[in-house]
Amino acid sequence: MRGWLTLFLMLAASPAAAQSVVTSTAPDAVAVSVFRDPERSEGGEIERDWLNGFALISETRTIDLAAGESVIRFEGVAEGMIAVSAIVTGLPGGVVQKNRDAALLSPASLLDGSLGNRVHIRRTDRATGRVSEDEAIIRSGPQGAVVLQTAAGFESLRCTGLPESIIYNGVPAGLTAKPTLSVTTRSLAAQRVTVTLTYLSTGFDWASNYVARVAADGRTLDLFAWLTIANSNGESFADAQLAAIAGTLNTVSDFDSLADVPQAPPLRLTCFPLGTGRYGIPSPPPPPAPAAYLDNEGDNIVVTAQRRSAPMMESAMAVSVVAELENLGDLKLYRVPIPVTVAANGQKQVALLVKDGVPFKTIYRLRSSPGDTFESMEVERVLRMENKEAARLGVPLPSGQVAVFAPRGDESLLVGEGQVRDHAVGEKVDLVIGESSQVRVDIIEGVAPKMADGDYRVTVTNANPFAVEFELGFYVDSDPKLDKRLRKLPRRDGLLTWAIRVPANDSRSFDYRFVEPD
Amino acid sequence: MRALARTCGAVVVAGVLAGQPVAAQDPTVGNAQGQLSVTIYNGGQALVQDIRQIAFPTGRSRQEFPDVSAQIRPQTVSFAADGTAIVEQNFDYDLLSPNALMQKAVGETVTLLRTNVATGAETRERAKVLAVNGGVVLQIGPRIEILRDDGMPVRVIFDKIPINLRAKPTLSITVDSKSAGTRAATLSYLTAGLGWAADYVSLYDEKAGTIDVQGWVTLTNTTGTTFDQARTLLVAGTPSGQPANSRYRPQPQGNLRRAGIETAPREQLGDYYLYPLAERTTIANAQTKQVSFLDVSGVPAQKIYEYAVSGFDTMTEPRSAASVIKFNTSAKGGGLGDALPAGTVRFYQRDLRGDPQFIGENSIGHTPMGSELGLATGEAFDVKVQSTVVKRERMSPRIWRTSMSYLLTNARAQPVTIDLVQRGLDWYWDDTRIITESQKSERLDSDGTKWRVAMPANGEVTITATFETRY
Repeated sequence: MRGWLTLFLMLAASPAAAQSVVTSTAPDAVAVSVFRDPERSEGGEIERDWLNGFALISETRTIDLAAGESVIRFEGVAEGMIAVSAIVTGLPGGVVQKNRDAALLSPASLLDGSLGNRVHIRRTDRATGRVSEDEAIIRSGPQGAVVLQTAAGFESLRCTGLPESIIYNGVPAGLTAKPTLSVTTRSLAAQRVTVTLTYLSTGFDWASNYVARVAADGRTLDLFAWLTIANSNGESFADAQLAAIAGTLNTVSDFDSLADVPQAPPLRLTCFPLGTGRYGIPSPPPPPAPAAYLDNEGDNIVVTAQRRSAPMMESAMAVSVVAELENLGDLKLYRVPIPVTVAANGQKQVALLVKDGVPFKTIYRLRSSPGDTFESMEVERVLRMENKEAARLGVPLPSGQVAVFAPRGDESLLVGEGQVRDHAVGEKVDLVIGESSQVRVDIIEGVAPKMADGDYRVTVTNANPFAVEFELGFYVDSDPKLDKRLRKLPRRDGLLTWAIRVPANDSRSFDYRFVEPD
Repeated sequence: MRALARTCGAVVVAGVLAGQPVAAQDPTVGNAQGQLSVTIYNGGQALVQDIRQIAFPTGRSRQEFPDVSAQIRPQTVSFAADGTAIVEQNFDYDLLSPNALMQKAVGETVTLLRTNVATGAETRERAKVLAVNGGVVLQIGPRIEILRDDGMPVRVIFDKIPINLRAKPTLSITVDSKSAGTRAATLSYLTAGLGWAADYVSLYDEKAGTIDVQGWVTLTNTTGTTFDQARTLLVAGTPSGQPANSRYRPQPQGNLRRAGIETAPREQLGDYYLYPLAERTTIANAQTKQVSFLDVSGVPAQKIYEYAVSGFDTMTEPRSAASVIKFNTSAKGGGLGDALPAGTVRFYQRDLRGDPQFIGENSIGHTPMGSELGLATGEAFDVKVQSTVVKRERMSPRIWRTSMSYLLTNARAQPVTIDLVQRGLDWYWDDTRIITESQKSERLDSDGTKWRVAMPANGEVTITATFETRY
């Protein structure tokens, strides 16, 4: 039957020329370049339940072509494949057309495709266990329920109270288990060719996670970053060339809907009313939903570099493999230098960058508008570095999460967490890693007898046993009516900024006058 | 498969089938489509022409048309065959289901086949369906019963299917034919669920300053119907009126920078370009089909960076400029030389190993030949802008002066060009003029002015300007 079916399909598809179907089941080699979620905010984390990034997958496949027209079916591709982005190169006759077939084999499509065809209805006698099979023709479409024509007359399926089921003779033409990409090509002679299939796929994401370890002297830190790559596809990519791409790409297509596996409508059987008003029989359980987008239970964490969970606490990070950076136009490409396996429903980490002995300053920072008053306001703690080679950094820093550790005797303790945006080489890096309750700010207005309305006094207090650098940035445009004391302040990050060093266990003040313009 | 079904079906139930109102074409067997021509528009709409061979009897006959699109707009059907005149057209969607079958059997007699649950013995009796109202009331001889009220197994066997209950919505046309004979009949209709767009693969060579562009038409069939061996024509356009957008505020620069005035050497229908597929093709249900229509290499393309400051803003952090690839579609040298149907352009660039990598995508509308396109591919990691309001001065109650400073940084190892635009110069009744500027700008319109800044490799440039605004 199967042989007949295939033959018939081939004849139906191409009545004039013989067309051979070649199925390529798996790639010989694969390269995966992962892109971050374009919508994710700076320094955001991977959403492991729903990966919003994507990947460019490039597969090398060996295919034996027959002479004449062939249809090459590609199997073993990522299930999140965006078929319209597929590029096939290496075919001597080029690509006549590309098709993505998504008419899926399901109980409903089986019934629909068998309309008017002969099937068997199998009934089992509950009393005797006797199984009978009768021939029947399906007369109704898949909406509603099944009406069969049997030798006895016209009957409906599963309204009888007897255990009964339809046995089909074959799978209707054109139904596939999964959406399938195929290309049509022509070859003058039978030959073996190597083709490259390149496509975008959903179900990937990556992020960088920084670990900064402050040295005992408190003046330098060792900066280390993990490149964390996640794949929620059901396919694993063995021994892949893996790369991650930093920067923000423009996207306009809805990748998820392009890659979507169409929902197979469930087959709902209903009957005429039975008994005293029970409408139909309970529907059979719906067919299993298409595989969940991401099976979070099965996550397995693969660590390529050595020691993953413990090293954050240790003073030295030993890694043997660090991603290599190259420029890709206006993006940054991080290449994992060895072939690695990107597992299905898995997350993988490799070292992204290692920079030791980076000098930094801790700045206590507050931003406010003139005229604001505060009572014991906590201020931000900022780690400031210069992203320059002279300052032992000077590498692009892709956005990600930062955890800062400081030594306490033999151990390292977490002292702050924050986010970092994309930083180009040459930029100042300000990492906000938390707030301080030791350094606080009071801003008061017009306290008699010495001060009038519109007179403000800023007082910054330092309860630490060491001196701190403090900056207060004012959101104000300089205009000639502005108090000279404000107007003369230097600009930092675009803001007029009062910067002062506050000695240990001491305080400093700054007075200004400000009247809201009418 | 189909042949097998046909023969077996005929053998097993030939007697029953004889009573069926089978028209010229059996609706349940095989694919009844004839010679198909499909014309597909961009907005998910298509015109289907189906030429079928129909054996007309003399006089009035009803012809059914199975295998038309499941999303047919029946009100758009037209029909023509030599020597026939249309009496009426019908679109029937009274679908066959057990419930419908039972409802239509009211007053009719059916066969009940009971199975004894203890012995498996079958008994057969005839019953008249009296009513189907929340339960089936049957008359069996003198007794009145409710079907399966006791929950025991009963097979209900109907003698026939009423004529108007159909497996699928069915189009039928009643015609008057002058003479008997098999003739070609042309059926044409509009259907939803069949649309197309273009997908462009554009490989950008930054060193050479060129792009290679391959264009694919992408057909999407969600009609629920397969169109067999169809002659396919794609129309670049959506023939339906859309309310015009009224925009008061100027929008950021679009992708079409200058509309072209050249005509592409392609077939046209009115204002629309036509893209015929070379061969007949089968458009399967739930299929996305791509066919190449354009392959051009070495089109000159420039990369430029763009950033628009929306108002007089102080930015505390620098922001990335957009990287934009510009090219034109002219045939007069230096261009792509074709009109481009609307779609998505995906850009690729080779990495150090020579493998193409994706660098971003953008969309284009229908683009006449000779147009200039500027497509943003993303934000530049290394080219950034930080604007600062240095001073705001009130010159008089209605006149303000704003001094702006823009720090432009380039961390790339190559010199780059950036278009810096200050927007927000025309906020309702403003009248904004530039008093001083460190480099001559080009006023784009009342709302914006543009500096084209050449930036050195690994360098920075500061642009300053003073604006005077009258309220």
